[in-house]
This record gives sequence, C-alpha cells and structure tokens, in this order.
Amino acid sequence: MGTYPREIQESIERVEATRPARLANKPARLTLQEQETLLKGFHPDYRAEGKRKLKVGASWGEPVPHELADLLEAYPLLDPGSVDVSKPDHDVDLLVIGGGGAGTVAAIWAHRSGIPAERIVIATKLRHGDSNSIMAQGGIQAADKPHDSPAIHYLDVLGGGHFTNDPKLVRAMVEDAPELIRWHEDLGVMYDKAPDGTMSTIHGGGTSRKRMHSAKDYTGLEIMRVLRDEARTQGIATIEFSPAVELLTDGQGQVVGAVLWNLETSEYTVVRAKATVLATGGWGRLHIQGFPTTNHYGATADGLVLAYRAGAKLRDLDAVQYHPTGAAYPDQLVGLLITEKVRGMDAQPLNRMGEVFVHPLEPRDVESAAFIRECALPEKGGRGLGVVTPTGMVGVWLDTPMVDMIHGPGAFERALSSIYRMYVRFDINPTKEPILVYPTLHYQNGGVVIDEHGWTGIPGLYAAGEVEGGVHGKNRLMGNSLLDYNVFGRRAGIAAAGWAKKASPGTPTLTHARRYAEQLKSAGVAPERKAPILLPEYRGEKALSRMVDLL
Amino acid sequence: MPTNPSRLAYFPGCAMKDQARPDELGTLQALALLGYEVEEIPRWNCCGTVYSLAQDDLMRHVGPVRNLVRVQGMGEKRVLTLCAMCYGTLTRSARFVEEPERLERINAFMDTEDDFRGGIEVVHLLTLLRDEVGYEKLASQVKRSLDGLKVATYYGCVLLRPREFAVDDPERPEVMERVVEALGGTPTVFPERMECCGAYLTVGRSDVVEDRAGRILRSARGNGADLVVTTCPLCQFNLDKRRPAGAPSLPVLYLGQILAWAMGVDEPAVAALLTDEPATGKPVPSGV
Amino acid sequence: MNEITVFIMGKGYRVPAGLTIMKAMEYAGYLLNRGCGCRGGYCGACATVYRLPGDYKLYADLACQTPVQDGMYIAQLPFTPAERPAYALENLTPDGATLLALFPELARCVACNTCTKACPQKLEVMDAVQSSLRGDIRQVAEFTFDCVSCGLCTMRCPAEISHHHVWQLSRRLNGAYLTPRAEHVKTRVEEIAAGKFKGELDKLVTMTKDELVAAYKARQIEA
Repeated sequence: MGTYPREIQESIERVEATRPARLANKPARLTLQEQETLLKGFHPDYRAEGKRKLKVGASWGEPVPHELADLLEAYPLLDPGSVDVSKPDHDVDLLVIGGGGAGTVAAIWAHRSGIPAERIVIATKLRHGDSNSIMAQGGIQAADKPHDSPAIHYLDVLGGGHFTNDPKLVRAMVEDAPELIRWHEDLGVMYDKAPDGTMSTIHGGGTSRKRMHSAKDYTGLEIMRVLRDEARTQGIATIEFSPAVELLTDGQGQVVGAVLWNLETSEYTVVRAKATVLATGGWGRLHIQGFPTTNHYGATADGLVLAYRAGAKLRDLDAVQYHPTGAAYPDQLVGLLITEKVRGMDAQPLNRMGEVFVHPLEPRDVESAAFIRECALPEKGGRGLGVVTPTGMVGVWLDTPMVDMIHGPGAFERALSSIYRMYVRFDINPTKEPILVYPTLHYQNGGVVIDEHGWTGIPGLYAAGEVEGGVHGKNRLMGNSLLDYNVFGRRAGIAAAGWAKKASPGTPTLTHARRYAEQLKSAGVAPERKAPILLPEYRGEKALSRMVDLL
Repeated sequence: MPTNPSRLAYFPGCAMKDQARPDELGTLQALALLGYEVEEIPRWNCCGTVYSLAQDDLMRHVGPVRNLVRVQGMGEKRVLTLCAMCYGTLTRSARFVEEPERLERINAFMDTEDDFRGGIEVVHLLTLLRDEVGYEKLASQVKRSLDGLKVATYYGCVLLRPREFAVDDPERPEVMERVVEALGGTPTVFPERMECCGAYLTVGRSDVVEDRAGRILRSARGNGADLVVTTCPLCQFNLDKRRPAGAPSLPVLYLGQILAWAMGVDEPAVAALLTDEPATGKPVPSGV
Repeated sequence: MNEITVFIMGKGYRVPAGLTIMKAMEYAGYLLNRGCGCRGGYCGACATVYRLPGDYKLYADLACQTPVQDGMYIAQLPFTPAERPAYALENLTPDGATLLALFPELARCVACNTCTKACPQKLEVMDAVQSSLRGDIRQVAEFTFDCVSCGLCTMRCPAEISHHHVWQLSRRLNGAYLTPRAEHVKTRVEEIAAGKFKGELDKLVTMTKDELVAAYKARQIEA
C-alpha cells in the first residue's frame, strides 16, 4: 500500500501498534513554563545567528531575520531618474496595493463608504486573488457561540501571542469578528453548518473554545473567491501583474499613490491616489533560515520594503511563524500546508517509534518547536526520533487515519478534501496511512505598525492583512489571519475612504526613496542590493527542493 | 439478468426537476399506486433536447446515448420518460446507434463509460398506460373520478412526429383521450390538438408563440374544454406563460396531475377545478 | 541524478526526474509570472496541457501538482477568456431560470463529458452543468465546491460554457439563499452592538501582563 519506502513502512507498523492505546488517552497540554523552555531550546526564532539589527530607518536597532534585513537595507529597484512620477497614468481616490483578501475587503468597504467604484484601483502582482488568503485551509475564528465571548477570544489571542500584542488591535479584531462572519453569510460564503444553520466549529491550536469556522478545507479559497466576485459586482478595477515598486510622497509627508511595474510589458505605471492601502501580504518566499514555505509565489515582503522607506515603523518582525505541519514527503509536496484542522480533528503527531510527544493543539510556535526537538539529533540537544526520508528530509508522523476512526468513515475526505486529493495524487491514502510533516515557514507575525483603523501614522497610508503587525504579537493563532484581513481590511477601507474625501495631495515625488538611499549610503550599505524583489528566484538549480538544514 | 417487470428505470429530464415538477410528483405517486417501482437513473444528463437531423452529427447523440448507458448499467432494458421532448430525443438516438458503425464511433468517443450495447427501449408514460397497464386496469384503479371534467387533450408535435416513433397514429391519435376517459373525464377533441405551440421561438419571437397559444386555447375553449392537458413541459410553458391578453383562462396542466388526482393523490390544481378548495398548487422552491 | 527530457512549448530540456512541471520549467530557466500562483494546488493559475509520446490524448492538469514524465510535451494556459455577466446577488433568485438567463450557453451542453476529463480536481464537471440545467443550485454548489477556476474545462468545452463563473454564482446563491443563516451569529452581533461585552473588554485592555497571564491560565478549555 502506498509509496512509502520499506524503512518507513516499519515505522508505520509501530504507529499502527500504538494507535489503540492512543485513541483511548489524550495527551496533556504543556504548562506556560514548559512551553517557554521548548521555545527557547528549539524554535528557530531563538537562534541569535538568524537575525541582525537594522542599521537605518524608523525601526533602527530592531532585530529582524537576515533575509528581511537584506531587503530593508537595499536600494530602490526603481531608478528614480527613469520615470516622471509627476505625470500620473491614473489619478484616483484610492489605490489598494495587493489583490488578496485584505486589499479586496478594503476596496469593497471603501466603495461602501462612498468612494465611487471608478475612483478605486486594486493593483496586484499576480492575478486578483493570488494570495495567501486563497490558500488558507483550516478556518476563521469568531466568538459567536453562546458559551464563547469576544473577551475569551481576546485572552486566547494574547496568550497565543505571548502577551506581546497591541491590545487595541486585538480588541478591534475580536469585537468585529461575528459581524464579519455575518457579512460573509450575506455574500454567500458556504460555511460548514448544521442543517439548522448553526456553524460547525472546532478547536484550533491555542483556542479555549471551539470557534474555528470552516468551509471544508478550502476556507481561504471560498472566502477569497466570494470577495473577488463581490468586488467584480461592484465594478472595482484591478490592474493585474503590476506590483508596486515604490510609494509616492508629496513632500508634505503624505503618501499619494505608488509606481507600479508591469511584469509583462516591463513598463512603469504611475498611480496618484488620495489614499493608499497597503495589502501586500507576507514574506514566506524569503525562505527565512532556509525553511520551505506554504506561501504563494508573490509573498516577498514588498510592502514592508515600501512602507519602511516611506517612514513607517515595523514591529515583531523578529518572530517568524513556522507552521508545524508542512508536508515532508513526498518530495513534490515538501513545504505545502497540512491544515491545523487535521489536528483539530484529532490526528496526533508521533515520532518514529509511534509515540505521541506533544499535545496536537499547542500554539503553533510551541508545536513547531516540539517537532524540531523530536527530530533534532541528540548531540544538538534533540531526541533524534524523527523519520528520515530517502531524500534526506526529516519529519514526524501525523496520524491521519485517526480522523475517520474518531469522526466516522468518510469524515476525512469530506472535511479535508484538498489534503486528501493532494496525497492521493501521489498514491498515499491519508485515511489509511499516516503522513510525514515538518515545520514550514507560514506567516509573518509582525509587520507595519497600525492603529485600530489600519492607519500607519503616515498621512494617506493605511495597511491591512499580513503586512501589518501588532494584532498577533509574536505568534498568530490559527484562524486569526483570515479574520485579521477581514477586520483590518474593512477598517482600513473605511478609514482610507474617509481620508480620501478630505485629502488634498500634492504633486507625487520619490523624495523619500532618494532620502532613504542616502541613509543607506551613509550607513555603508553596498549599492548592489535592490528591493523589492517582486518574485523569488527559483531558476536553474534553485528549482530543486529546499531541504531543511537543522539536523 | 431477468428484469423485474414492475421495476422501471426512469429518466426525468431537466424540466421535471424544475418547472414541470408537479408532473413528476403526481406521476411518480400514481405509478407507485399502480404497482411500479420507479427508479431514477443515476447521474443522468440532459436528453439533448433539440436532436440533430444531420446523419453524421454524432456529437449530438453523445448526451442521449450516455443516458442509455446509465440504463444499461442498471441492468434494465427500458426507460420511462414523462416529457414528450425527452421521449423524442432519446428514442431518436436509440434508433440512430442501431447502425453498428455509428455505435462504434460513439463508444470510442465515450471512453470513460462502458460501451453501449444497444437494445434499450424508450417508453413514454402514455404508451406505458396503454400497452402495459391497460385502460381497463387504469379505470379500475381510479379512486375518484374526474367526474366528466372536459379535458382538452393537447399532443403538440413531438409525441406524434416523426411518424417512425410516434406514440400513436400521427393523424388520428387517441391514446390521451382514452386515458382521460379511463380517469373519468370527458376528452375534448379539438382541431388544434396536434398543432405546434411555437416551441423555441418562445425565446426570441414570443409574439409568434403568443399568437399560436391564443389560437390553441381558443380552440380548446370553443370546443367546451374546462382545462388543457399536455405531457410536454415546453408546450405547457408556452400555452400558460405566453397566453396572450384576452385568451381563455382555462388551466393548462400536465397529464401526471390529473392522473395523480384520479388515483387519490393530493393534487391541488385539479382539486381546485373539481371542488371548492382554493387553488394553492404552486410548488414552492425548497429551502428559501 | 536521473534526468528525463521534456518539451516546453516544443523545446527540449533535460530535467531531473520527479520535479513537478512547474519546477521543471524553472529548472529549465523560465521565470514564471503568469502560470504560477500559490504553487500548492489552490489558485488555478498554472493550468497546463500536455501530451505523452505514443498517446493521442491531450491531458490537462495543474503544473504545480503534476510530476514530469519522459517525453512530455507541455504548454501552459496563461489565461482563460470567459465573460462574467454583470449581476448583483441581492437582485437574483436561486433558481435555474437565473442561471440560464445569465449563462444561456449552458443549454448548449451536449453531455460530451470533455470538461470532466479535463478537470485537475477530478470534479464531475459535466454533472454540475447538468444540475445547472435542471435548476438544482445546491447540487451545483456541492459538485463544484473544490473548483479552483483554472479554466481547463472552459477551454475544452465545445458548448463554450464559462464554467467557473456559473459555479461561482451558484455557490453564492446557495450560501446566501438556500442555506439557513446561523442564528447564534446574528444574536452575537446584536449583543456586541448593545455593548454586552464592553465592560469586560474595557477591563482586559488595561490589565497588566501578570493579570493577563493569570486570567489566561484560569481559562476553562472546552472539551
């Protein structure tokens, strides 16, 4: 059965042997103290050599991963002399940079707040909807069940973020959550429900109530495609394959649009806008510390680069979210997301001996650290109990057959059809055999500092979604990213519309970018490095799978 | 495999699940009372609706033949349709692929299905009632008579044309009249009963259809009818929904509705004609 | 390294066996912008058609999910032209007439099943077309829930149906009109608007870290 090599088959037999006992007894959760020890010992964020302090800019002295520092300490990709930004190609009320969830929600709500559709433009790097939003599998949190409350949700978010979150952002998120779910229902999102309409909700890592709403394991896809369709209904224009390469400022400290780069025709497009919403998503494709990633192709931290040059502050970018369960086998799937919902539906993580070594639903950073400890060799302080694949990848088992054993035959295929489909393509049946997983780079916990209206503190510039920080502190819980982009996409859209109605932008310039380049020069940064990078480099040998160098 | 004579593979067709729902609901209940085990064929598709007259246009036969493959997969030799249009299209395709070369080409194209072996008979409700149930048995099963209700029997085109698979004599049909009689009604034979309703002109030239519908309804009423009965959803739609202003307001029902009522099944539209009960017969879409 | 030959838009390249089509193209030196999105089988950007030596069939799949085979001829479909008619959900009724009015070409389906054969998600596409024709919106929504809008069925359809737009509308109609609303969500929205949780949240946002840690530890975890 399946395609697992023989040496791995032996381990599967152990998994099967321990299963009856494991079905009977659930593992215990870790105490806060135990969690902290695990994080300090094994979470990649705690490797000091992975980061450095920023040498320039508004967050001078803050440590960020080298991969990001390399981009923040880089010269503009756009040569300021090569385009006349004072003559815009488009002159609009609102420019939304990013066509994922946050950007689309912001555009819709700006329109609903009185900005005519023809005065809004969404510019996006790939196609409208190409984003991490569309890839989210497991669900979206909202405290809308009778035994739950926004206050309990608030505590869960703070605990998950190790109490480093911005309280007013968390409050905004948990208080808006039920209203956004209601809005999705109006728009026709097909949430998983009981026949009477009650939402089917389950736990996610670090939740104290079952408040994870889902649409099978295509939750992100379902919400995103409905939002995109709604934006189309409203007639909001999108400019695809045109990432922003620089913001525009007007010399009075206001952001007044951006310069886009047409990936297909290699031309600049200058968009002047009274208000700009930055919704560019995260940084997964920087492959921090060499990790594979679950992120979409365009997740290259462009928004951080652009906003930082314009003077925005950044926060919590020392904290990288590694999703505990990225696929580790077969090779073609390495790094792809195996939703937390699989563990929410009671599949346990196991070592090579078939032993459960951690509660399945610890917060993501803790769970990831536990996986890494299990796999790391004893001489590096680990336990050396991972399963090594023929290509040298390592992983732990996720005992997927438990899902049907506990929830009934067919439950896995029904609730987790994308995962099921993904493995069956490679002749592995996850309802019969466990799957191999290892942490994968998943989310940018921090980002651009915003207030509860999505305002960055720079007149005319708002941010929403993964690009902003503070909501999740140092660690985001499952189901709060879809929520984040809906809540702050809406808030930023409304606030940007309000600003656009009264703004009086001056002539667009690239002054801030020039000034930033001068600062880099005085800090001794060599001129070769350019940013944003727009797309990751995978050509040639780099196309081969990235292996994790942790053992 | 010996087939159970009371088991009937059933092809509904799209309209039966939508606008002609009362026909299906009534007919299926009536057939159950007549002792039939009706089983809807799995994963059926549209019959093809408008059949191609070209001799080499195999593509148009793929859909209907795929339905016949499903019937074959059930181990059945015949398939029931209620809709006159589906009857025509399926029958035409069943005959078309009797020629081995055509059958081979269609089978080669439908490489994801079992090969069709032919030999499936398409049965319309009217011929089932005539040839298998029989008028006498039908009459004996009637629970409440239509009580002399004057029923205009409207055939339209496709039940009778083309001649090779007409359900009855294409010049002087009587099957629908005999069924109405068996149910206790009085058939109204009227000159326009075999005239075309205007069919698909309803999409682009509704004026033509309105003109025809008016003529048919006036003819039926002029000959004393209380209602019109048909087995074709398109005819029903055109006579009812394209009824011009000033045309007689007599109801246009499906055969299945009067059949059901006579068999004792609750059928509000017929009940309204025969009793003092108010008509509430419009089916409500589920779940809204 | 075990290498095989693939033909990318007719040009031959030697690439390592076991790569996906997408990675093989990158290995060969292509910088993708169109034809690449999530790289995980969710976004439908990388619709690809291919033929294999000695096989008459034209296969269709996602480049990010399909391993290369020796001798494979590959071409990507960067875009699927398909018109989404103008509509607003709030003005529509969830029935077959709505679908046929907006997408009359649905009625041109000849049930050839080519769409189903082209679907990389292994959906029963033709059955969904048929369900649309009979107005069974709920069935359409369920059949097409896993659709990633790659457009492969649309490009292969002799009836020229724009499938993914029909599916999108059907799912929205199903979600908005044919599925009961969650009463508890409505109730909670009203409670929040009425300020039911305001006091508690006011208190939480001013708590010190120690107080928060204590409150966090004291949470009851729902079984």
